[in-house]
Amino acid sequence: MTSSLLPRQALWWLIGSQLYVALPHFSRVPLWILAVYAGAALWRLQMYRHRADMPHKLVRLMLGLGLGGSVIVSYQTFVGLDPMVALLLVASALKGVESVRVKDGYVLVSLGLFIMTTQFLYDQQLPTMLYGVIGTLLLVISLIAINQRPGASLGRRECFLALRMLGLAMPMMVVLFVLFPRIDPLWSVPSKTQQGTTGMSDVLRPGDVTRLGRSSEVAFRVQFDGSIPPNRELYWRGMVLNQFDNRAWRTLEWKDHPAIERQLERPTLEGDSLHYHVIMEPSMQNWLYALPYAESDSRGVFETWDFRLAVAKPLESTFSYKVVSQQPTALQPVLSQWRRETELAFPPGLNPRTRAWVAEQLAAVEGVDDFILRVLRYFREQPFFYTLEPPAISDDDFVDQFIFNSRRGFCEHYAYSFVVIMRMAGIPSRIVGGYQGGEVNDVNNTLVVRQFDAHAWTEIWLENRGWVRVDPTAAVSPARIELGLESALAEEERFLTDSLLSAYRFRNVSIINWLRLRYDAAAWRWQSFIVGFDSGEQINLLKLWFGEIKVGWFVAALLGSWIAILGPLTWWMTRSRRSSDRLPTEKAFAALCRILARRGIDRQIGETPLHFLTRVEAQLAANDPLVIELEKLAVRLYAPVSGSIE
Amino acid sequence: MKLTGAFYSIYRNWLSRRLPAARSITLEQRRLFIFPTAAGFFFLATLLIMLLTAINYQNNMAYGLTFWLAMLFIVAVHFTHGNLLGLTMTAVAAEAVFAYQQSGFTLRLSGGGKRAGHYSVRLLWPDAEQVVDVGAGQGRTVTLHQAVGQRGYFLPPRLRIESVYPLGLLRCWSFAYFDCQALVYPQPLPAPDVLISVNEKGTLGTSDSSGLDDLAGFRAYQVGDSARHIDWRAWARGQALQTRLFSAPSREEHWLDWNDFDGGNTEQRLSWLCWRIIQLDASGDDYGLRLPNVEIPLAAGDRQREVTLRALALYDMQPPGTGYHL
Repeated sequence: MTSSLLPRQALWWLIGSQLYVALPHFSRVPLWILAVYAGAALWRLQMYRHRADMPHKLVRLMLGLGLGGSVIVSYQTFVGLDPMVALLLVASALKGVESVRVKDGYVLVSLGLFIMTTQFLYDQQLPTMLYGVIGTLLLVISLIAINQRPGASLGRRECFLALRMLGLAMPMMVVLFVLFPRIDPLWSVPSKTQQGTTGMSDVLRPGDVTRLGRSSEVAFRVQFDGSIPPNRELYWRGMVLNQFDNRAWRTLEWKDHPAIERQLERPTLEGDSLHYHVIMEPSMQNWLYALPYAESDSRGVFETWDFRLAVAKPLESTFSYKVVSQQPTALQPVLSQWRRETELAFPPGLNPRTRAWVAEQLAAVEGVDDFILRVLRYFREQPFFYTLEPPAISDDDFVDQFIFNSRRGFCEHYAYSFVVIMRMAGIPSRIVGGYQGGEVNDVNNTLVVRQFDAHAWTEIWLENRGWVRVDPTAAVSPARIELGLESALAEEERFLTDSLLSAYRFRNVSIINWLRLRYDAAAWRWQSFIVGFDSGEQINLLKLWFGEIKVGWFVAALLGSWIAILGPLTWWMTRSRRSSDRLPTEKAFAALCRILARRGIDRQIGETPLHFLTRVEAQLAANDPLVIELEKLAVRLYAPVSGSIE
Repeated sequence: MKLTGAFYSIYRNWLSRRLPAARSITLEQRRLFIFPTAAGFFFLATLLIMLLTAINYQNNMAYGLTFWLAMLFIVAVHFTHGNLLGLTMTAVAAEAVFAYQQSGFTLRLSGGGKRAGHYSVRLLWPDAEQVVDVGAGQGRTVTLHQAVGQRGYFLPPRLRIESVYPLGLLRCWSFAYFDCQALVYPQPLPAPDVLISVNEKGTLGTSDSSGLDDLAGFRAYQVGDSARHIDWRAWARGQALQTRLFSAPSREEHWLDWNDFDGGNTEQRLSWLCWRIIQLDASGDDYGLRLPNVEIPLAAGDRQREVTLRALALYDMQPPGTGYHL
């Protein structure tokens, strides 16, 4: 059986479904793999037209080894998801060339299923799911095509059959999805690379946030239990950058801290608390975004010494967590000596003009508050511009250049300059990176925060008040904080230039916007119920249903649901194929034979109906109604029809 | 599935009890067997790898796809089984042939349901294989060929009906013994040419009724010549064995007599008679057949040919068995 040839239409379905499942990967594999695909497709076409032969076994082996080696060379490794995907794609292209037999078809289908699974590891959003459902359907239709009688055509019936089978499998899949225990990873798996992920990083150079302003990709989604706070209060803290080194601001890591500084000092809290649920897209970073001061009891989330939320490993897939935020009376009201020194450190030789300017200002002010207001007033009153296209400053004396010369910058330029000025004035300060604002979706009361909402602001430490947020960008462009980036950059064309086809660009068209908001609401449900479903949620759900979790309940629910679905299916199949509804002609013939047997004319074993007819004719009269009826039926039923022969 | 010795015979006995021979067989629940194919096991192995991927990457969509396909496999059990369920096969005709030739067995397949058909149904005999589709509410006729053995009744071997449709992940199969026997005529062998069909019109055959007509001459004895035509007198004189030749009869009526063919054993005689019948049938003359205990009167045509050949086929045979002797 395995040696029989693939039916022709099956080959096209197989190759088509292979291309379909490989397509989303093409953007992240080296270009030469696309060339391998094109070459393989061309070769297969020539084979189909009998213009080329299948390459010799040795050639295929060499090709396989050579291309596998090329993957390893181009990725420098074969461990990891990216090289694995590349190897799978090469394997599927080569298998496509040599697929002539039925068993090759099964290998291709399995490869296709696995390639589709790897796509899910990169992205679990709603469109990927829909794409995957169609891919599964195509692969199942391919399986049916493989198993068709040679020469049979594949039409609507086969497509509906695939749909019906997948449809019947779906309820049982849901049961298994809910009940299957979510166990921890069995072994550590190769990580995904950071390649292609947009988002904030823990190193900030002027221009880093600016780049994010061109992307409308979703960073995270939030659902508040109550009403959504106004835009100007939505400062999503992600990371704290406290060390200046080599023209960039960096985060001090856990290992950079002395042991005593690693402890979290819990502040006293006041006012109302905000409860919300965040679902983050994969960021490849280990920090989470939340409104200060945030606490979370979600699995795997911990709070850091600088009042952030983080997880142990970089987020390679969607992550969901619940947060409670409440206003602190003071964050870290007492600053340790080490911390004070760290948050004041700045290379002494840099930015001499700024240093002189700070000294001049300090002489004129009365107290710290006055100084800060004066600096902010300077930003507001001097001709500073808020722009996505700031001129590049490659000078070591960045702040000198920025505040006295170019004066055109994005949020990180202002935060950078402000922190340097504060530190020069002896006020502990640091840059905070994260997102500001977000788009409210009224359909399900969620907030969508996109990459262009990325923002950098500052925190300064004041006696008795602890760390206080100061956003110098607000002084330059109040619209950014009140209304969002788009209003602040109404005249600029660079906004969203990296997201040309994003629905967000067309939100002024009302029908598109209507659809977009509903889609976002669906995406929230998808992300929160399906993608975010983990062992914690599972246990909660099962406790809700069964009261307590017992293995017996588990098994009973699983089997019970299967029986509930498969029982009717079996009954329906048996019923619909009951042999009692045979063809009317056959029933009539059998009945006639019984009548004749009663008259003493038995149809003999192995006797052809036509021969039987001649015998009956000999015994009864030729014009006997029974004979005429028998002749009619015999001719209609058993006229020599040759069966199809392979 | 080669099981050895006693175990295999137990299996065959069980199978023949479970699946008795019949003219018309409907594939019911209890007749059908189902098991994953090699491709099915390969598919399950792929699912295992996908499950490990889902667990290690904690990826719910990978879990979902894996579970969906696993449940598809279970649904496929029902669909593969349902693809054969209710298929009715009726043995319509078994072509009568000469010994050691191929006989065509005609089966009528009809669908069990009005809505669901039976697709890619594979019918397997040792010598023959056919793949057929029986559309919903349709029927179709299939002829399978199988080499037969000696004369008499030939019982077709166990027919295997199998299908892996629709997904190829599972194989559903059944066996059918058709109570449909092919009549096998003796193998025609050229009869010794000295023998003359004898005009015996109006007289009952007696042992000396032949050979008294016009003596035409002699020729050297050949193996297979009837002893009654040997010129014993010449042999007694010390001459070589000679066979007496008689002139051909002028009338177109021939009697084929068992006793004229006493130069061979039973099977040889039947083979020669068979050959003669084929020749006479081709010439269009009337002929009759005399066998011990059977006499078939003079006639011509297909019917006569069949009646005489049937008589030869069943000469000295037990009545056809009712079941299979496995």
